[in-house]
Amino acid sequence: MSAVEAPGQPQTSAARESGPIRILIDARYLAGRAIRESLRQPGVEVTNIFIPLFFLAVSTGAIANFSERGFGVENYLAFQLPVAVLQAVAGSSSASGIAIVLDMERGYFDKLLLTPASRWSLIIGRVWADAVRAIFFATIMVIAALGAGSGMASGVPGAILILVIAGLFGGAYSGIGIFIAMRTGNAQAAQAGFLLFFPLLFMAPAFAPLDVFDSWLKWIATVNPVTYIMEGMRGLVMDGYMWPIFEDGQVVGVKNPPALHWAFVSLAGFSIFTLTIASLALRARTRAD
Amino acid sequence: MSSRPSTIAERLIDDLSARAPQHSRDADLAIEAHGLVKHFGDIHAVNGIDLRVRPGQVFGFLGQNGSGKTTTVRMLTTLLRPTDGTARVAGFDVLNQDRQVRRAVGVALQEAGLDILQTGRELLRLQSRLYNVPRGEIEDRIAHLLEVVDLTDDADRRIGGYSGGMQRRLDLASALVHSPPIIFLDEPTTGLDPVSRQNLWEYIQRLNREDGVTFFLTTQYLEEADQLCDEIAILDAGEIVQQGTPDGLKATVSADVIYVQVEGDEQAQQRAVSALLPLPNVEDAQWDYNEGVAIYSKSGHDTLPRVVRTLDDESLPFSNLRLARATLDDVFFKATGHRIEPGDAAAQTTQAGPA
Repeated sequence: MSAVEAPGQPQTSAARESGPIRILIDARYLAGRAIRESLRQPGVEVTNIFIPLFFLAVSTGAIANFSERGFGVENYLAFQLPVAVLQAVAGSSSASGIAIVLDMERGYFDKLLLTPASRWSLIIGRVWADAVRAIFFATIMVIAALGAGSGMASGVPGAILILVIAGLFGGAYSGIGIFIAMRTGNAQAAQAGFLLFFPLLFMAPAFAPLDVFDSWLKWIATVNPVTYIMEGMRGLVMDGYMWPIFEDGQVVGVKNPPALHWAFVSLAGFSIFTLTIASLALRARTRAD
Repeated sequence: MSSRPSTIAERLIDDLSARAPQHSRDADLAIEAHGLVKHFGDIHAVNGIDLRVRPGQVFGFLGQNGSGKTTTVRMLTTLLRPTDGTARVAGFDVLNQDRQVRRAVGVALQEAGLDILQTGRELLRLQSRLYNVPRGEIEDRIAHLLEVVDLTDDADRRIGGYSGGMQRRLDLASALVHSPPIIFLDEPTTGLDPVSRQNLWEYIQRLNREDGVTFFLTTQYLEEADQLCDEIAILDAGEIVQQGTPDGLKATVSADVIYVQVEGDEQAQQRAVSALLPLPNVEDAQWDYNEGVAIYSKSGHDTLPRVVRTLDDESLPFSNLRLARATLDDVFFKATGHRIEPGDAAAQTTQAGPA
């Protein structure tokens, strides 16, 4: 049996019907919708700003006075800035899981599944939106910390790099919320996606340098990807980024802090892991019903 | 479709006359299924359904809650993978060509699936883009659809503020953005007021008649199936138990039905059925808790006095004796052994599970 003849074909554009470009185009539309969703619920987003700022202020106020004597950190506000950024981003990206569950409960997820859009675009759209939102929240954290005197050793390029890392982390972290939403279809479970961030945060050098950790915690921290992402940002805030060294118009050397490299390696690994489990969960949900 | 019902229907037709596809009556099948099966663990929701829906038909699935209607629609529209069997929609395999199937069909599920944070216009725009409607046509198409479902004035309001009827209309418009040749409507009139229901019927009939759009609709309303469908399949416990045109189905039960309430327990009812079955012209007799004993006869007027005499002879007291023409309700009862209870439709909330 052949397909219904031409007059019976739906009226859609013949061009760009499928393939990776089409997936990205659809993902962009879906990301736009997700961002619009955030803009229309400003109350929900306020917590993603307030809580990390609160922790930044309180932890700095409590520890800054002895951080230099205690573990050799002179500028504790700068030390804490990456923590605030990651906390804001994780909180924001976790909301994707809840949004997906709400779509499921309202039947809108089925409506999206009924369109010819690739299943991949549903995930990429969310990840895309979360990356954009992450950059927005990270910007607020950086501006607030700078305003409070944290400084930025790597200057504007370093600040931009922090936002890039935040965006990538936001996209990666949304995979966790998507995974939970697909597996459970439950809003409470999806909300727990943010709680998963706390073990990752507390088992990383969030409040003190790795050197002062007990050996067991140090071991865990060294296999925790958040450690490297945090340290990468911290290096940009506190130590600066060594740009290519020029002499007589020639590059004679480049000094890159290893922490930054490891941050990107960790981000890549973390992204691959979270987006893979999210994709598998979506596939399982749409195929095994 | 509340405020301007007739004009909405007319505008829908005008719109789709220009755009909707014209099926050839002798073209390939619009929907075809062989041995379609869906099990959810131990629950056998659909047990081997065969379907042949011609282009341009209005095909109805009539059944109670849990009979497998929604599950079948979800399989045919690629939302569920069949446990076994094959199905093709618009010529495309639902398993291996799922994206082509989705491009060829419009679907309005039982619950209007909408994003309450978007405006009506934004929702239609996103749908149009995801269906890859040519960019230059999108805004005109949206404006037109909003007009025909009478939502132009509310287009830029958030959907969360829409009434149930408005959401239903928007959901329908969203299924039409790409002018599909085949439209699936799952319980399309459940929860609608009588005016909106009538309006939707008119729309379906005219869209089908004038533009040849194929409809596959599920319903629990006998009247709806009778009015709209060229062909009806009665579904019970996941199986098609009877199929045919509304008139053809009615012809399968006798021309007349005599209803009588026999007093007494179930044993008395069974005695009455046994005594009435051998009467001349009686083709069948069944007992149902609500309707009492139904006697299917080729000639009700001849059978009626015999029924009275037989029940008297059997010393079975009775009341509420009445003669009626056979309806789809009788067809349904004869095919399934039970009647569709009023309120079933309203009670149905099935989404992803067996239905």
